[in-house]
Amino acid sequence: MVTLALLEIENFSFSYPRSEQPALREINLKVEKGEFIGITGPTGAGKSTLTYCLNGIIPHFLGGSYQGRISLGGTSIFDLSPAQISRLVGSVFQDPEAQLISPEVEQEVAFGPENLGLPPAEIGKRIGKALELAGIPGLRNRPTANLSGGEKQRVAIAAALAMLPEILVLDEPTSELDPLGTDEIFKVLDILNKEHGMTIIMVEQKTEQLAAYASRILVFNEGRIALEGEPRQVFVRRRELEEIGVRIPQVARLAGLLGRYEGCALPLTVEEGHLYLESILRG
Amino acid sequence: MQRKAQIKVDKLTYHYGTGPPVLKDISFEIEKGECIALIGQNGAGKTTLAKHFNGLHRPSSGKVYIDGTDTASMKVSELARKVGFVFQNPDHQIFHDTVAREVAFGLKNLRLSPREIEERTAAALEAVGLAEHRQTYPFNLSKGQRQRVALASVLAMRTEIIVLDEPTTGQDFRESVQIMEIVRKLNENGHTIIFITHDMSLVARYARRVLVLCRGEILADGDVRSVFAAPEILKKTYLRPPQITNLAQRLGRHSIPPGVLGVRELYELLVKMRREKIGCCN
Amino acid sequence: MAAVTEYISRNSPIHRLNPLTKMIWALSILGMGLLFNDYRYLLALLASVLLVAAAAGVLRSLLPAAAGLTVLALVLLLVQALFYGQGQVLFYLVPISNRLAVTGPGLLSGLAMAARMMALVLSFLIFLATTRTRDIVLTLVEKLRVPYDYAFMFTTALRFIPAFLSEVRQISEAQQARAYAVEGWNPVKKIKAYAPVAVPLVLLSLNKADQLAMAMETRGYGGGRRTCLRESKMGTADYALSAFLVLLLAGSAAARLAGYGLM
Repeated sequence: MVTLALLEIENFSFSYPRSEQPALREINLKVEKGEFIGITGPTGAGKSTLTYCLNGIIPHFLGGSYQGRISLGGTSIFDLSPAQISRLVGSVFQDPEAQLISPEVEQEVAFGPENLGLPPAEIGKRIGKALELAGIPGLRNRPTANLSGGEKQRVAIAAALAMLPEILVLDEPTSELDPLGTDEIFKVLDILNKEHGMTIIMVEQKTEQLAAYASRILVFNEGRIALEGEPRQVFVRRRELEEIGVRIPQVARLAGLLGRYEGCALPLTVEEGHLYLESILRG
Repeated sequence: MQRKAQIKVDKLTYHYGTGPPVLKDISFEIEKGECIALIGQNGAGKTTLAKHFNGLHRPSSGKVYIDGTDTASMKVSELARKVGFVFQNPDHQIFHDTVAREVAFGLKNLRLSPREIEERTAAALEAVGLAEHRQTYPFNLSKGQRQRVALASVLAMRTEIIVLDEPTTGQDFRESVQIMEIVRKLNENGHTIIFITHDMSLVARYARRVLVLCRGEILADGDVRSVFAAPEILKKTYLRPPQITNLAQRLGRHSIPPGVLGVRELYELLVKMRREKIGCCN
Repeated sequence: MAAVTEYISRNSPIHRLNPLTKMIWALSILGMGLLFNDYRYLLALLASVLLVAAAAGVLRSLLPAAAGLTVLALVLLLVQALFYGQGQVLFYLVPISNRLAVTGPGLLSGLAMAARMMALVLSFLIFLATTRTRDIVLTLVEKLRVPYDYAFMFTTALRFIPAFLSEVRQISEAQQARAYAVEGWNPVKKIKAYAPVAVPLVLLSLNKADQLAMAMETRGYGGGRRTCLRESKMGTADYALSAFLVLLLAGSAAARLAGYGLM
């Protein structure tokens, strides 16, 4: 029996209205349930555009013309209304403040389920579960105003999770956060993915963290997927990454210069780098 | 002869209205030509401190001196001639319909002659690599390019001191490097640079001195190498040194120094060590 | 100033009242304020409003707003006093040429207007300070049959006031840092002088609105019938108070018709 991939993108191209150049060119991608896809690449490469195509903002909010197919669990995404898509794809955006709908955490997380017309008891349950998954059960009765950036983004994650989506799509959620906030987000996503099997698609510039947590990396450039593969397979392609303008994790760069890691894999984290260097120094 | 500091902060304490102090008893000096990174977690007071340099904030107690003069006696528009401030979000200041006019705005406020304005605008756009976009509508540019427009508009004012608040947040790798290389050149030309950032690898690469703020107090003030060599201090404000420094610190038993700042540096150290160990090159 | 339209969390009897009751209260203040113009009645009305603020534990937090309103009130008082036109002259503002006469009745009339303005605005602010946003929306939608969109628009506008004030401050700081200063008295110049703050503010606001709309769409907004997590319940205190206020308003109208409360 052939299992359908959770998300399938076939020969998909997209142009914004009144734009001469397509923003996405012939994208082909299959995402299985439980993957953690990291998307990176220079500004204007089409990363955010792809996320908009997955959560319904394109074409319902931003318009534009497309060719090709995007299917979620076998159904074409373009046959679904934004409300229907929202039950399948949860979204978290870059600006922690601008995506908050309510001045209170509980109401913020309730917003989505309320829109779905669910009974209050069910909504209450979902809020509790979502806040727990996002690691912030204690924030339920707090106002959103004085939360830290990392806390606000976790509220946004909880708000998306309350819809019980199949896929969580995040567009540079840590770009406005400090290192502590960034760590908090990556940790939550890691737990969601590894312990709860949530499929995650995350656009990020912080490749060092992405390399540590993602199961697959896509490098976008000029509307296409220029490089694709496991983090170790992607970050070893130093010359191409430098040409496109993608930051390579420092440990990987060092290993690239020193060589001699064919036995083990390309080290990406400090721990892996340590083991690798110990073995090199032993001779 | 004692060299007078260009910026002197003396026992600065600051609170918003009647709230608790955001900055507590801060003192330090900055000399002309330094390149300093101001780091700390969000809420530590970095931007609040920086806004004292151009008079946007006034001390609740203590003093701030620019070129020996107490800022309390100077208006913000006067301080703007000495201290340029590039804000985090370029969209907080852009309101003209062409890049050139946007860059000229500050110069008009300084009441310079049209010829002087023209000359400085051209030079500033050249320095940030946007000369070809003189007549472009700023919002047709990417955020990274708009950040460079904001930088150009401050550059044109030719202030001796330039403060940059998170100049690379929200930008891709290439744009970040572009901006920081411009900043490096400015520092080589004699400008005093103070930049606020969360990106520790940027600090390692471009700063020579680091001020670490934690909850309104200075946790550490020293050259980059020594500060990054002491990660226990950074931990207090939830920061970590760059990945490569982190890695080097695990190799202490191989006599790798704890203050390694870049990939190249560690690479050369390791090659040297390996050569010495094996007795040949590899 | 930023917190003036925001909910202030307290455990007071006022906070526990149903938003509908509080709305009725604010409207009855409005009604009585418009019915009467005797300064004594209106000052008493203002005093009652301040008492409610104290009972709700929000008086101290609203003092900055009250202070700002007082300035406005004084201006109102002076203007009314100058242009009243009748009654015995107390003094002249420009003594030498005997221009700009301030009359006794004028002053009292001005006082009445000032008291009315403050009572009305403060009652509205007290309502906002003692009622959670979600409860305001709930009451508007369930009890007053306001479509959810409009109720949401109203509360979102309120919610963004502090955000916009913060943006104005940041924009104005960014322009000041480029030696921008608004000087002089030329009115044309002053209007032009707002462009450096107004243009970025409008653009940023449109951008924020877009982002909020996108967030709402991705959470299923506009997909059909909505439900609410919480219900809005009216207790005995609510019914009793509401009945009392309605009667009070009716009584005031009768009193007014009988000639009371007029100057």
